[in-house]
Amino acid sequence: MSVFSTASVRMRALAKDPQVTRLAVILALLLIFFAAVRTPSFVRLSTWQSMAVQFPEFGLMALGVMLTMIIGGIDLSVVAIANMTGIGAAVIMLSIAPPGSDPSQAVPAILAAVAFSLVAGALAGMFNGFLVAKIKIPAILVTLGTFELFTGIAVIITQGKPISGLPTQYSEVFAAKLGGIVPMQLVMFALVVVVIWFLMSRTALGTKLYLLGTNPTAAEFSGLNTVSLTVRTYMLSGIFSAVAGLVMLANYNSAKADYGSTYTLLAVLIVVLGGVNPNGGSGRLAGTVLAVIVLQVLSSLLNTFPDISNFYRPLIYGGVLLLVIVMNQWYKPGNFARFFTRKG
Amino acid sequence: MKQRRFKAIAVGLSLAVGLSLSACVTDDSTSAEGDHTIVIVPKDSTNPWFVRMEEGVKAFASDSGLNVYQKGPSETDATMQAQVIRDLIAQGVDAIGVIPVDPGALEPVLKEAMDAGIVVVTHEGATQENTMYDIEAFNNTDYGAFIMDNLAEAMGEEGLYTTMVGHVTNASHNEWADGAVAHAAEAYPNMTLLEAEPRVESQDDGEVAYQTAKELFKKYPDLKGIVGTSSFDAPGVARAIEELGLTGKVFVSGTGLPAANKEILEKGLVQSLTLWDPADAGYALASLAAKILDGEEIVDGLDLGVVGYESMQFSSINPKVLEGAGWVVINKDNVDSFGF
Repeated sequence: MSVFSTASVRMRALAKDPQVTRLAVILALLLIFFAAVRTPSFVRLSTWQSMAVQFPEFGLMALGVMLTMIIGGIDLSVVAIANMTGIGAAVIMLSIAPPGSDPSQAVPAILAAVAFSLVAGALAGMFNGFLVAKIKIPAILVTLGTFELFTGIAVIITQGKPISGLPTQYSEVFAAKLGGIVPMQLVMFALVVVVIWFLMSRTALGTKLYLLGTNPTAAEFSGLNTVSLTVRTYMLSGIFSAVAGLVMLANYNSAKADYGSTYTLLAVLIVVLGGVNPNGGSGRLAGTVLAVIVLQVLSSLLNTFPDISNFYRPLIYGGVLLLVIVMNQWYKPGNFARFFTRKG
Repeated sequence: MKQRRFKAIAVGLSLAVGLSLSACVTDDSTSAEGDHTIVIVPKDSTNPWFVRMEEGVKAFASDSGLNVYQKGPSETDATMQAQVIRDLIAQGVDAIGVIPVDPGALEPVLKEAMDAGIVVVTHEGATQENTMYDIEAFNNTDYGAFIMDNLAEAMGEEGLYTTMVGHVTNASHNEWADGAVAHAAEAYPNMTLLEAEPRVESQDDGEVAYQTAKELFKKYPDLKGIVGTSSFDAPGVARAIEELGLTGKVFVSGTGLPAANKEILEKGLVQSLTLWDPADAGYALASLAAKILDGEEIVDGLDLGVVGYESMQFSSINPKVLEGAGWVVINKDNVDSFGF
């Protein structure tokens, strides 16, 4: 089979995936609604740029959660990893290039900080994976525990205060707009999406992860090294969280232990909304990416209504999540019929 | 398959209809194009302080006829506040008045706002760099001294005291506390600052203020007074005073809303609180933004149209900061007279 024909088979499979179709329809309707009631905002480029700056923060975390959920786990520690690695990066940057130092020191400072952050994110993720795969603690407990642990480390390093005064070159690079239009944050998100796409559909990893999520016992007997697979999955999630931390560092020009405290649930919401089965084994990258965009459009749309307080946001998110879960059940083969036969 | 897709569309449509129904109520906001749109962004939407501020913002909206409203994040989180501001920039509002959660975290997004030609003013953010003007209800040092006068009166002008701020990163709170300490050193020679812990944090949370105060009073039995700053400090400390049975032995002063503190004032747990009216501050902030939009010159003696802000003076330290004279004392005799 040639590459081309596998790709076209995949494309057709994607179009047939009901959750991806549903999300695309919802997104289209949302956009039509946006265009109709908020035309001036809708046609303005800055509206879309503003969204593209915001969603990579939690979108990157959601991508990590997605991978862990495909193997039947979950990663609730993403926000903590992002903050911890962001703080680490900020501390390193400030120790190499303190405010008022020579601008030429900024480059090594930024490189060291980015490298540290990615390595620390990978290690934190591997720690999660080790506890899940080797010690066999349920993922939800492990990552809830490490969430507290990593946040605790972040609080101790910073004493709970924000770390700011980073070299301006950092945000000039990571919060830049490529060609004056495309925000760097979006580029980083897109890069990670491409990496995941490649791993999931161009290497054996994707198939292995789906098998592990569908039936861990079968995966074990098929000769897969499930421990190493799990550790690697959580490691990827940790790395993506670290990238999210770098994005937040650029967006706020500072790092703090409790930035983005609402992102944990948002990331889980996105992944479930994206059609990933919380029990593992199924879920598509396209669904998750669409879900990220749907929620960001919804959120920015809400902010254009002066009279809708942001206090309604958790309510709307919670409603959307429940609606999607109900819809997923609804569309499962036979479920709808069973609904009625049981009643009768 | 076809039926399924139909169902999906039906569900999607009902979602959209639901959304548009909620939108119908508020649809008039776009009709104000052409007029100035001024948005006040508080630290959060539910804190009573900012609920009161919204009254002033609305009063200015009806006085001026401009499109003025308040829009804050659902939680006191610098991240969420930055996102609200980012969305406002995207909508192309004319002016943003911010009460920053964390000035440092907002520098990039406020710079973006100013680069986009939006008028940016702040309140309680004297350290904010990316702002045109910051208004304070009063000179922070003078207000600190004023809080200290109130505490000194309660303490009989002698004894050991410490200071409590919302966050040690909150510029205004710290300037008040510094002003209080400086004033005590000058005017009350028998009052001494607790050197071991000269400044504690309440994290703008009554519960934390209460816990911190309890620890302080147990650790330092000689401690006789706390200079509170945020509106959560004095009520939280008062709870600790009551629980430890120290009423009349230790004292606290600070900022507080009258209605929320009626009980502790009447019980005598707190002798007096100091305050400026957030509604007036909201009014003044929106008014300042409108004046900048109208191209008025911002000079000493500027009148923002509300009591206490009729003659704004530039701060002697920071050329961006305008100070009014908007403080008041609340005690058990006048607590009912404010109406909030």
